[in-house]
Amino acid sequence: MAHVCEAAVAGVGVDGAGVTVMVSTTVRDTVHATDPVAGDLEEWQLTFGQGPCVDAFNDGGPVLVVDLGSPDYSARWPAFTPAALDSGAQAVFALPLQVGAIRLGVLDLYRARPGPLSPHELADALAFADAAGMLLLDGAAGTQPDTADLAWQRDDPTAHQAQVHQATGMILVQLGVSAEAAFARLRAYTYSSDRRLGDVARDVVERRLRFEPDPPSGGKGEQ
Amino acid sequence: MSDRLVAETFVELADTLVDDFDVVDFLHQVTVRCAQLLDVSAAGVLLTDQRGALRVVAASTEQTRLLELLQLQDDEGPCPECFHTGRPIAVADLSAATSRWPRFAAEARQIGFVSVYALPMRLRTDVIGALNLFGTEPGALDEDTIRLGQALADVATVGLLQARAIRNRDALAEQLQAALNSRVVIEQAKGVIAERRHLDMDQSFTLLRGTARTSNRRLSDLARAVIDGSEIL
Repeated sequence: MAHVCEAAVAGVGVDGAGVTVMVSTTVRDTVHATDPVAGDLEEWQLTFGQGPCVDAFNDGGPVLVVDLGSPDYSARWPAFTPAALDSGAQAVFALPLQVGAIRLGVLDLYRARPGPLSPHELADALAFADAAGMLLLDGAAGTQPDTADLAWQRDDPTAHQAQVHQATGMILVQLGVSAEAAFARLRAYTYSSDRRLGDVARDVVERRLRFEPDPPSGGKGEQ
Repeated sequence: MSDRLVAETFVELADTLVDDFDVVDFLHQVTVRCAQLLDVSAAGVLLTDQRGALRVVAASTEQTRLLELLQLQDDEGPCPECFHTGRPIAVADLSAATSRWPRFAAEARQIGFVSVYALPMRLRTDVIGALNLFGTEPGALDEDTIRLGQALADVATVGLLQARAIRNRDALAEQLQAALNSRVVIEQAKGVIAERRHLDMDQSFTLLRGTARTSNRRLSDLARAVIDGSEIL
C-alpha cells in the first residue's frame, strides 16, 4: 500500500497521499500516509467523523476539494476544515475505493496549494484508487497478488463488463458470503486458472461454473 | 408520435427530478421513453469513465445482448465517435458500416438492428456521454425525431447533473463517478436475485425495479439492501 500511495503522489502530482480502510462509517483505520500532513488529514477525519473522505465513502463518489479555504467547506466540515488548513492542506481529493456495493476505504490526496486536478490527473488518480482498492480486496481475502498480477489485471479489457458484477452477486448467494468476499473469490479463481475475469464471469452467469463453500484458505472455486 | 405523448413524457421526467431521486432509475426511464417516442427498438446511455472509456449506465431493456452491444463501444462504434466529436452520428443502414465498425456492425446486425444513432450528452463545452438508439428497419430518422431525441439526451444530462447542484467540472466528475458506481451496484444486485430466484438478468432487473417502485424506494438503495442481505427479493 505504501508503494501505491507513493506512486500516486508522483503520478498524479500531489504533495501527499493516505489510505483509510473503512469497515463501516464508524470503524476505520489508516493503513498508510506518505507524510505527516497526509497522516494529519486521516487523523482529523477519524477524530471528527467528517471530511471529504467520510463523504466520499458515504456517497459513493469522489469528493474533489479544489480550495479548502473557500467558505463552503468551513460550513460543510466545521471541525475538519480549519484543522486541515492548519496542517497545511489547501486542496484535498478523496477517492472511494469501491466496486459497486463493495466499499473498502478511501484514497486521500492533498496539495499544499489550491487548484483542481486536470482531467489527465483525475484519470490517473482514479486508476490509483482502483489499484489500491484491489490491493485491499485481495489482501483482506488472504490472496496477495504480486505486482505482475495487478499489471495484468489493469490491462484486462473484460474487467469492467457487467457480467463480472452479476457473477459477484451470484457467487455471494452460492457461498453465503459478503459481496466483498464473493468478488475476491472470483478474482482468486481467475488468477489461479489463468483466464480473464470477464470470461470466468460469463461462465458463472451462464451457469456453467458454480462456486461451492470451502475452507477460505484455498481460495479456489470448483465446478 | 403525438404531441400529447411528448408533453406527458417531459412532464413525467421533470416530475422524477425531485430531491434524492435515483440517477440510474431516471436514466433507465429516459431510455424506455426514447424507444417509445422515437420509434426505435432500443436505447441506451453510455457515460465517460473519465479515463478514456465509455460505460453503460442504462438501457431500455436489460437483455444481456443489448448491454453487451452497448458496452462493445468502449473502443469502436457510433458512441465513441459521437463522444469524441461532440456531434450526432446517424447510420441509416448498418450494412454500409461494416468497414467503419467491423465488430460493432456485425454484432448489431446479428441482434437484428439495422440502423443506429448516437446523440451527444453535452454540458457546456464538456461531452459526458452519448444516447444510443437502435432501429430494426433501415432508413434515417426524420429531422423532427432527431431533434426530439436530442432533447431527451439533454434531459438525461440535466437529470444526471442535477442529482447534486453542478457548479463546476469537479462536481461533474464527482457525479459521473457516483452514477457509474450505482450502475455496478445494480448489476451486483441482479446477480444476487438471478441466483436466488433462478431468473435471468432481465427478469431480475424487472423484479428489482418493480419492487423499488411499489415500495417507493430508490433503486440503488434497494439494490444495496439486496446485496447486504437486509432485504430478500
